[in-house]
Amino acid sequence: MNGAELVIQILKEKGVNRVFGYPGGAIMPIYDALYESGIEHVLSRHEQGSGFAALGYAKISGKPSVCIATSGPGATNLITALGDANFDSVPMVVITGQVSTEVMGTDAFQEIDMLGLSLAVTKHSFLVEKPEQLESIVHQAFEIAQSGRPGPVLIDLPKNIQLALIEKEDIRSTKSAAIENNQQLCKAVCKKSVADAIALLLDSKKPVFYVGGGVLTAEAETELNQLLDLLQIPAVSTLKGLGSINLDNELYLGMLGMHGNAAANHTVQECDLLVAVGARFDDRVTGKLDGFATNAKVIHFDIDGAELNKIRRADVALEGDLKCYLQVMLEDLSNFKSDPYNDWHSHILDMKKEHAWAYDKPGESIFAPKLLKDLSDKLKTPSIVTTDVGQHQMWTAQHMRFSQKARLITSGGSGTMGFGLPVALGAQFAEPESTVVVVSGDGSFMMNVQELATIKRYSLPIKIVLIDNAKLGMVKQWQQLFFEERYSETDLSDNPDFVVLAKAFDIEAETITQNNQVDAALTKMLNCKKAFLLHVKIEEKDNVWPLVPPGATNEQMMEKIYDEFI
Amino acid sequence: MMNSFNLITANQPAIVERLLRVIRHRGFALHSMQLSSTEQGLEIDFKVESTRAIHLLINQLEKLYDVKQISLN
Repeated sequence: MNGAELVIQILKEKGVNRVFGYPGGAIMPIYDALYESGIEHVLSRHEQGSGFAALGYAKISGKPSVCIATSGPGATNLITALGDANFDSVPMVVITGQVSTEVMGTDAFQEIDMLGLSLAVTKHSFLVEKPEQLESIVHQAFEIAQSGRPGPVLIDLPKNIQLALIEKEDIRSTKSAAIENNQQLCKAVCKKSVADAIALLLDSKKPVFYVGGGVLTAEAETELNQLLDLLQIPAVSTLKGLGSINLDNELYLGMLGMHGNAAANHTVQECDLLVAVGARFDDRVTGKLDGFATNAKVIHFDIDGAELNKIRRADVALEGDLKCYLQVMLEDLSNFKSDPYNDWHSHILDMKKEHAWAYDKPGESIFAPKLLKDLSDKLKTPSIVTTDVGQHQMWTAQHMRFSQKARLITSGGSGTMGFGLPVALGAQFAEPESTVVVVSGDGSFMMNVQELATIKRYSLPIKIVLIDNAKLGMVKQWQQLFFEERYSETDLSDNPDFVVLAKAFDIEAETITQNNQVDAALTKMLNCKKAFLLHVKIEEKDNVWPLVPPGATNEQMMEKIYDEFI
Repeated sequence: MMNSFNLITANQPAIVERLLRVIRHRGFALHSMQLSSTEQGLEIDFKVESTRAIHLLINQLEKLYDVKQISLN
């Protein structure tokens, strides 16, 4: 077989039955091997769309997804999706075509140094220089993508190697044995090191769990919730951790940080012990770092040792698998009965009540937080919500309620506009029966709008809630608050007619402008068996509150319920 | 603060670029570098300077797939 056929054969052996991508010159042998291979290929309309669709597929399937593109511009178009997956720890194997080895370095047509470009945006990357390396590299790519802290791995594959005759060596993955050994070893290490964490916990009067996306990546939600139930310790979540904490936990305070709930931020600022689980003290979480939870000792669990003591010094730093650590904590604390945190609890419940969200905005215009709360209430599970980046994203994080059956996929570290629509494609392919909703803004939506064609091509029943303030809203909000209302390049009042645009792709669509239209429109959209775009006009003046201004600590939030005027 | 460390890495394409990228990106200035090819791969001595703690760099370099061993001098 040739190199391309070998790659497809290995993908099949690994159980890959669907790949995402876009063909082109230097990757044609792979596309030829895909033809009639039995592997389904999902064609997007831009390589960035393919990359993000693959990201959505990996997030929902829990396995490394595969994305394929050609050399040069095909490869560079994947950079944004690679960077996003790298930042948010998503396992992907990305294969890019490359010009043949004999012309590499001669500025051949569609040649670009993709290995060089990949260094900052991948967990690891390979250039296949010789045919005999290919089989081993494909296996390594899958193992690296899903081991430890997951991430994207690039294989840059020259065309002549795709065409070279190669004898398959049948390299067997030793991964399962390695994982088993690793788990036993991990448990022993956890047992020993967790004692210091438990001592700190038992010594604290005002502890808080600060939960990040690592819990979902480690599939440790069950253990986390059992531990929270057992210890009755309040918990806050990062943007990426939303969905991991049981919603019926009355000591769960929602998201913390720049646009977090005030009760969550005050709780963290007042705590004497912060238990960080799979979270990395991002600047959007901490606000001014030297004013963040200043009286707290820190226990930090993370699978990535480089995150420990990176931003905030931990009193107890525990590197390893979160599931394993939380299991050991549960075992070692199984006799924990007393409730030493009573005063702390009542104070927190008071704050939670005081800072509960308000939805009774006067007037007839649509209030996006209320619309998103209503959408969340109406959404039947299993469901998946994807977002773009900006005001609508923060409103979604604040006002929709996520769980293990109502999942959120959002661009956290990278903050990529144009993320929501293509990620939803991958999520819908991974779970055809689930309701998939994209919550987008009028700025972000136009960044990968070409993927409406992919919805049409595959008849995907994706629902799009397009929240339109005819602005780059989050940038406008900052211009209003911190740049003396100098609205530089944030006006989008010349947006296209989004309903006509959707209909051009055979997607049903309607516009609503008044709050009395919301209920019927959401019901109609969710009951629609096909794709649907709900275009929601909101007032330009509506901003995201609360907001921790730049350079401020988290208790110095600017709080406002509604914006009366600009 | 100046720090020296020694690395043993697999001899793979782009390994030196990978190391230099991480050193620069994580806020360290390169003062000297000596590289030799051995049977194990590459052995590289670095001297770097930064106001940041050296463990922040070592922890990031350790994550690179091709890095086999790091020792701080």
